[in-house]
Amino acid sequence: MAGKRATRPITIVTGFLGSGKTTLLGRVLSEPSMSNTAVLVNEFGEVGLDHHLLRRVDERAVLLGGGCVCCTTREDLVEALLELLDLDQRGEIPRLDRVVVETTGLADPAPILHTIFADPVLQHHFSVDLVLTTVDAVNGDLHLDRNPESVKQVAAADKIVLTKTDVAEPGSVQRLHSRLGAINPSAHVLEVAFGEADPGELFRPDGAVSRAVPGASAGESHETGETNSVSLSFDGPVDWTAFGIWLSMLLHARGEDVLRVKGFLNVGGSGPVVVNGVQHTIHPPEHLDRWPDENHRSRIVFISRGIRPDQLLGSLEAFRGLLGARPLSLGAEQGASSP
Amino acid sequence: MCVLCGQDFVAQVHWTDRHLEDRARAAAPGSDPTEHQRDRRRERAHRVALTRKVLRHYGLKLDDWGGSKYVLRDGKGRSEIVQDLGSFWPAAERLAGRTLDPLEPRLVEALGEEPAYAATDGG
Repeated sequence: MAGKRATRPITIVTGFLGSGKTTLLGRVLSEPSMSNTAVLVNEFGEVGLDHHLLRRVDERAVLLGGGCVCCTTREDLVEALLELLDLDQRGEIPRLDRVVVETTGLADPAPILHTIFADPVLQHHFSVDLVLTTVDAVNGDLHLDRNPESVKQVAAADKIVLTKTDVAEPGSVQRLHSRLGAINPSAHVLEVAFGEADPGELFRPDGAVSRAVPGASAGESHETGETNSVSLSFDGPVDWTAFGIWLSMLLHARGEDVLRVKGFLNVGGSGPVVVNGVQHTIHPPEHLDRWPDENHRSRIVFISRGIRPDQLLGSLEAFRGLLGARPLSLGAEQGASSP
Repeated sequence: MCVLCGQDFVAQVHWTDRHLEDRARAAAPGSDPTEHQRDRRRERAHRVALTRKVLRHYGLKLDDWGGSKYVLRDGKGRSEIVQDLGSFWPAAERLAGRTLDPLEPRLVEALGEEPAYAATDGG
């Protein structure tokens, strides 16, 4: 076989209807540095995308066993990615730098992740390095209030792109910032007007890993109404096998309510394990050789719906004998339905 | 074995086993293959021991089955063979007749009362 090549990165661009996904992509794809990026879209919207590696996929989902939506396989996506892989390997297209998958506005990103991680061929050739969620600064609040899909999209995000900030009132942008921070403290929020974003900054995945930690927002309290997020650590190295047992058990029982798990886990090795999951779907955990910074403590964020932070902490506390460490709360942001 | 649902079709490594697979792949050619086997066996034994502590509360028991599968048994003599933790919890649910939920107050209370023990190797 020819020289081994790392997996091709996939960026998933999601966001509610009219939140500016296509505008953003249209701008970014016109940059020369993006010419070897393939784009898979669900619909050719009113804003025409013009790109030579543009493919349209019809959302065809196959529901598997348990019937849970996040564990569906998107056959259309498998086909389109296999076709791209084939073209790339035969050299019929320039070497593929990246694939961007644009979802429909109502899509839940979890099935896309599941499709790529579960497919026996795709999992060896592609990796999802980033989930980008666009949120409309004008109507974002309304979408989050009314549409559970919108909340899931924000929870699944590694980066949130706040669009239309030029036409929104400054106060509402600020409010939306803190609301997004409360729903997903691990995501980096970028502000973009007219789709003017720097592709380098937009698609840089390292930010996603280093931000796997609740930063400034830990400990602050926000009202989100629909989700709880809790950031926690452990008082010592965690037994990875035990953590796998606990998390797989939790996801089996409550997977649809665990919108996101993300962070670093100190398992007593030279580097942490990067844990990243969206509902039932867990990214292949990466065991790093070294820590990205001086802080060698576990830092993990859980974003859930209907699970109280004290329930999670209580459960981890009960499992301390297996885990070999006690959980410590770094800050909880609860969706208070009443003040 | 079902080809359609991928059960028993081990092209798909569960995320909890991924590090073992990665370690084996990353090994230099010519390195001692029994080294990984020992690692793998050790981890499996460790996982069985830990999982048993949880399953005890549901009247279930787990054993390693030939180093490739796990066998899950209940007190009535029923058993299921599972590949990994992905297929393990649904099988445990079938045998126990209820969902095994780590947040369930009774389990949390029962496990919480047990004396903590020093964790063994954490890899």
